[in-house]
Amino acid sequence: MPGLPLAVSGLRLAFAGADVIDLPALAIAPGTLTVLSGASGSGKSTLLYLLSGLLRPDTGSIAWAWADIALLGESQRDRWRRKQAGFIFQNFHLIEEMSPLDNVLVPIWLDRFSANAKRQRALDLLRQLDVPAERDSVAKLSRGQQQRVAIARALIGDPSVIFADEPTASLDAATGETVAAVLQRLAREDGRTVVVATHDPTLKTLADQTVQLDHGKREPAP
Amino acid sequence: MNPFPIAWASLRRNSFTAVLFLLIVALAVALGIAISAQERALRVGSARAADKFDLIVAAPGSHNDVLFSTVYLDPTAVELLDPAITRLLFEETEADFVAPIGFGDAIGNDPVVGTVAPFVDHLSGGLAEGRLFAKVDEAVVGALSPHSVGDELEVSHGHGGATGTDADAAADAIEAGEAVPGGDGDHPHITIVGRMQPTGTPWDRAIVVPIEYNWVAHGLGTGHLPEDTHIGAPFDPDALPGLPAVVVKPKEVAAAYGLRAAYRTPQSTAFFPAEVLVELYALLGDATAIMSGLTLAAQALVVAAILAGVVAILDLQRQRFAVLRALGASPLFIFATVWIYVAAIVVTGAIAGLALGWGAAAVVSDLLAQSTGVAMRAEIGARELSLVGTLVGLGLLLAVVPALIIYRRPVVDALR
Repeated sequence: MPGLPLAVSGLRLAFAGADVIDLPALAIAPGTLTVLSGASGSGKSTLLYLLSGLLRPDTGSIAWAWADIALLGESQRDRWRRKQAGFIFQNFHLIEEMSPLDNVLVPIWLDRFSANAKRQRALDLLRQLDVPAERDSVAKLSRGQQQRVAIARALIGDPSVIFADEPTASLDAATGETVAAVLQRLAREDGRTVVVATHDPTLKTLADQTVQLDHGKREPAP
Repeated sequence: MNPFPIAWASLRRNSFTAVLFLLIVALAVALGIAISAQERALRVGSARAADKFDLIVAAPGSHNDVLFSTVYLDPTAVELLDPAITRLLFEETEADFVAPIGFGDAIGNDPVVGTVAPFVDHLSGGLAEGRLFAKVDEAVVGALSPHSVGDELEVSHGHGGATGTDADAAADAIEAGEAVPGGDGDHPHITIVGRMQPTGTPWDRAIVVPIEYNWVAHGLGTGHLPEDTHIGAPFDPDALPGLPAVVVKPKEVAAAYGLRAAYRTPQSTAFFPAEVLVELYALLGDATAIMSGLTLAAQALVVAAILAGVVAILDLQRQRFAVLRALGASPLFIFATVWIYVAAIVVTGAIAGLALGWGAAAVVSDLLAQSTGVAMRAEIGARELSLVGTLVGLGLLLAVVPALIIYRRPVVDALR
């Protein structure tokens, strides 16, 4: 599925009277890797949650192609994420009691009763990412393999947009580089829009665009 | 959507706690089921036991005492029926048979009961083995009696009392139609000649002898003229002693009511066992209703406590639910997952409790049947199913509460 363009304007989110995010404008092109960067507390994760519709801004628009998700209700934003987005987390957040295959199929069960139609795709994704699908629990996989299961889970619905929150932070350097390369490939080769909140310098070097944040505001590019 | 795999995974995550919750629900349900099923088994068993005792005539006094002594062979001190009344009963044309009942003796723990052959035949519905007694020193035993046809036994006076003496001399005296030597306390040997079919009553353990045996053994004569050696009716009206109870088999229903009315006099009372049992069941019924209410309330409290525990357990999994929301799960999906989680514990626990309660009631029924002789079978009926259904319904309804609590948890806070 081709990536979606993003156009953000006048985005503001305040908490307890103070601005948490104040972003006048941001544009992201499809098929690119964008890194949201900044120190801890800079607002990079908050901006990621706003762009994915997990948080709703006080003002402003977040237009993914034709859909301004800032205008959508909660259930519509849930549906938008189910249909258009995949999510990758720092600690993978896999379901340990499930096999790698079942973990990959979780997003399908959010929408449909049977995941049989996607079973072969899930197996293909796991094979491409070099993860043993036959293990009965993801807890038996290495951390790098677990993160690749999480990437397969994010890709099972063939999403246009991939959100990743510190995807390499809990991995060793070598595994982190592998995951970073996968994310870059998802953007460059598959044409998806990839947005990553991270402080990983490797990812920054691979990014097509870096949004540097400080206290919720975008810092000018160096 | 399909929340079942996620609910199943959540149950497996805290499997020990889930099993513990399930067991608590099962035990709470089992307790209610066992009490309810056991109470009904007791009621049905005691009613069936009294079926063959159509109308009981006795001296004025407690119907309960006479009923328990006559039907359940639980002897209590009852007044003896005036022989004049017994004479009138034997002359009744509306009765198929009139059966004097005498008790008070025992062999070991097995009661020795005196009556007439037609009542034994009526109670047993034909013998399983051997024949009915034809002589005063012959007996038939109940279906569960440890004694065999052909055994010769010595009877003791009173339950568990000392054995009699000079028994053979007493038997000879009876055979000869003479007064029994020694009077009260001499018990001739008896020979078992038949075994009754199961009756589901304490009579299944009894040793049933001719009523004449009881009278002779207690120095009351034979109930016949001295030269008359036959047993059973007709009796000599002037030789009849007092009796604890007489069972009358009326020819028709109308006759039964007529006889009951006729023998409710200052010298006698007459009653259908069913009417006494109905009064007892009415008392028991009130207690049962209260117990059922208390049981259901206790079960509801158990479910409520478990739901509180579930909220705490699932709160530990709030990050999992937040991740699902991030992946696009609707609040309804989270709600359904939590609801299924709780429902699985409550429904499985209730089904296990139903089986456990049934098993417990069956064991208790067996033990009670062994100790009372009243055949009982614990069964799961509409009342037990309704009890479980109410609890499950309540559980499924209350499961909405943790489902609402969990699905309202802020997503982003849990993700950080």
